[in-house]
Amino acid sequence: MDLPNPSLAVVAALLVFFSGVSGAGGEVAEKRVPRFRFVDVAHDAGLTRVVHAGRPGKDHLLDSAGTGVAWLDFDKDGHLDAYIVNSWKMAEDRIVERGKNALYRNLGDGSFEDVTERSGTGGDGHWGCGVAVADYDADGWPDILVTNFGPNLLYRNRGDGSFENVAAQAGIEVPEWSTGAAFFDADGDGDLDLYIAGYIEATREEVLKARPTLDWKGVDKVAFGPFGLKGALDHFFLFDGTGSYAEFTAEAGLADRSRGFGFGVRTADLDADGDLDLYIANDSDANYFYRNEGGGTFQEVGLWTGAAFDVNGAAQAGMGVAVGDVDGDLNLDIVVTNFAEDFSTLYRSLGSGFFEDASAEAGVGGPSFPLLSWGASLADLDNDGDLDLTIANGHIYPQVDDHPQLSFSYRQPNLLLENIGSGRFIDVTDEAGPGFQLIEASRGLAAGDYDNDGDLDLLFSNLDEPPTLLRNESEKGSWLSLVLEIPPGRGPVIGTRVVVTAGGKRLIRDVASGGSYLSTHDHRLHFGLGSVGVVERIEITWPDGHRTVREEVAANQFLAISREP
Amino acid sequence: MKNRIWSGMILVGLMGLHAADAPLCQAQGQMSTPEELVASYNSLADVILGAKKTERHLVLSILAVTYSQAEAALDRAKRNIQAGKDARSDIEGLAALVAQLGNEGDAAVAGIRKRLLEGGHHHNAAGEQQGIYEEGFVVVTRAAKKGFLARAAEIGKLAAAPDAGALSTQWKKVQAQYEKLAGVEAR
Repeated sequence: MDLPNPSLAVVAALLVFFSGVSGAGGEVAEKRVPRFRFVDVAHDAGLTRVVHAGRPGKDHLLDSAGTGVAWLDFDKDGHLDAYIVNSWKMAEDRIVERGKNALYRNLGDGSFEDVTERSGTGGDGHWGCGVAVADYDADGWPDILVTNFGPNLLYRNRGDGSFENVAAQAGIEVPEWSTGAAFFDADGDGDLDLYIAGYIEATREEVLKARPTLDWKGVDKVAFGPFGLKGALDHFFLFDGTGSYAEFTAEAGLADRSRGFGFGVRTADLDADGDLDLYIANDSDANYFYRNEGGGTFQEVGLWTGAAFDVNGAAQAGMGVAVGDVDGDLNLDIVVTNFAEDFSTLYRSLGSGFFEDASAEAGVGGPSFPLLSWGASLADLDNDGDLDLTIANGHIYPQVDDHPQLSFSYRQPNLLLENIGSGRFIDVTDEAGPGFQLIEASRGLAAGDYDNDGDLDLLFSNLDEPPTLLRNESEKGSWLSLVLEIPPGRGPVIGTRVVVTAGGKRLIRDVASGGSYLSTHDHRLHFGLGSVGVVERIEITWPDGHRTVREEVAANQFLAISREP
Repeated sequence: MKNRIWSGMILVGLMGLHAADAPLCQAQGQMSTPEELVASYNSLADVILGAKKTERHLVLSILAVTYSQAEAALDRAKRNIQAGKDARSDIEGLAALVAQLGNEGDAAVAGIRKRLLEGGHHHNAAGEQQGIYEEGFVVVTRAAKKGFLARAAEIGKLAAAPDAGALSTQWKKVQAQYEKLAGVEAR
């Protein structure tokens, strides 16, 4: 049989390889009864605003980079609200419409009210990229950072339903192409510092005048880059305690020396030494793993700890990041999403800050290989006590649809990989209900229980379409959701780590900033408990090292726990 | 852009060397490429091939310096281990340097390599096509890179439990990998 071209032959060979590796998972799948079911309720729930994405032909990479989404409870009514970043609609070099970001207030009955205007969070006409949520000023109200192509916005929550942009006063505007961002206490002084990744250097004029000029597989011209374009620097800011930030990038050891094309950012204690490290997914470059050395300084250790490259030692096109313990060993593993014809990578923790690429043996590699992947979530979607992997997908070149012989499509299904225990995954997308059969060019992804029914729902942004909200209607086990609080002025919640012991299993979660693709998950910590009715023990380690323990806690509740004085 | 300007200046200069002969050549007929342009192109080829050779030497120098630094880090680590002192940072430094051998330099060098790719420069274009080299790599093959990275990780893990013997074992593998590269180069 003649294959159409060499690249397809390579793809076919790799798919055979990966499907062989994950074959054991397939056998398990044959014996399973489908229990996942997700339904798109975005329209009925009122999440209707189209997220613009430049020109139809995606002439510049900015057109196809898409935007992030966030879950937050901005009014502290106990219901998750949604924030969705928007960009511009263009026609050739003309701006047709400057899209507005949207803040949707959860009414508690399954529907949302668009409160963008009233809240003043519409994005001020900028081309939006990402979103990170944190109470940066420690006043008890969650604030919203919007990264832009152009000056960033820091919406300070006034606590009365309205916000004010204080990015200029705070000193974090960075009028470049900013992407992923994360708030975290880098130096252990009890306030939130900030890391903002940059993608490429580009002027507005270059974006407006861009045309597809890159030859793609010899069949079409597509958007140029990222090779051929200069990487934009990442920035790190220390909070000064008075509401402002000071840039400290080089001093902290975070100089972006390769000028990596930065996208996803996630903070986590990846070496389990009690402080927060930084992980940055770089597109086409080695990913950065900045290990926190204490005192606000970092060392890039990705190259020799196994967290920078794939199993072959090759740099991949990193887009999004998810962090969680997939195999139940209480070490945090990392998933990085990548370009099409390359697999999403599971960096399995070996402990003490070392990792190995376990994508193939874990069953992540095969299903993700043909897809161009972005947002990612490690969340227990069926409440069975392990973390399932959801990946948002969509190609960057709409031109691929004109060449069906290449077996690509611009709009792609999102992927649901069920953890079948011990960190092995099987692809259950086809049996995960109508929501996972939708075909979009998705980008941002955030998991959160918006209807407070004890399971995690999924919010996606899609290019040139309204968002998708997949309500979780899966069969599920019991659960526990922790709402962690620290009294204002006593330090941030971000960085808190919790270990729950239930039914003989120990489950770890962390309160994180950043993650996925330019997005923010629900900050409440969700634990799936299977058939367990009572949790034996909850151990909370707050960012300052203080510990709180609860024992014999009933399942199936949202439990607020505040740090003792 | 600067590269293109520089290349253009070289070309204009080389053409200028032969410009005075142009009328004579034209008189000799139009059936072949004028000799002066052939000569100019030949001179330019010398420049391009010379630059490629220089690039190779430069990368070899980067590797040699990195290797020397690694040897020094190894010595320090061993001395500290034998003296019962903290050798963690030396061992981690050694791991980082071995990883840099695999990566043909540190992140800053990677940034420069990216710039060259931006200009369409592939030192081992044929080798890249065959999957032997990663894009832009000059000396270190994919296989060698993988080997260095694996050794770097093993060395890094020793930082938590320093062991001079284990360090030497890993270093011998690094040494063999490096000498193999150097041997190929010598041939």
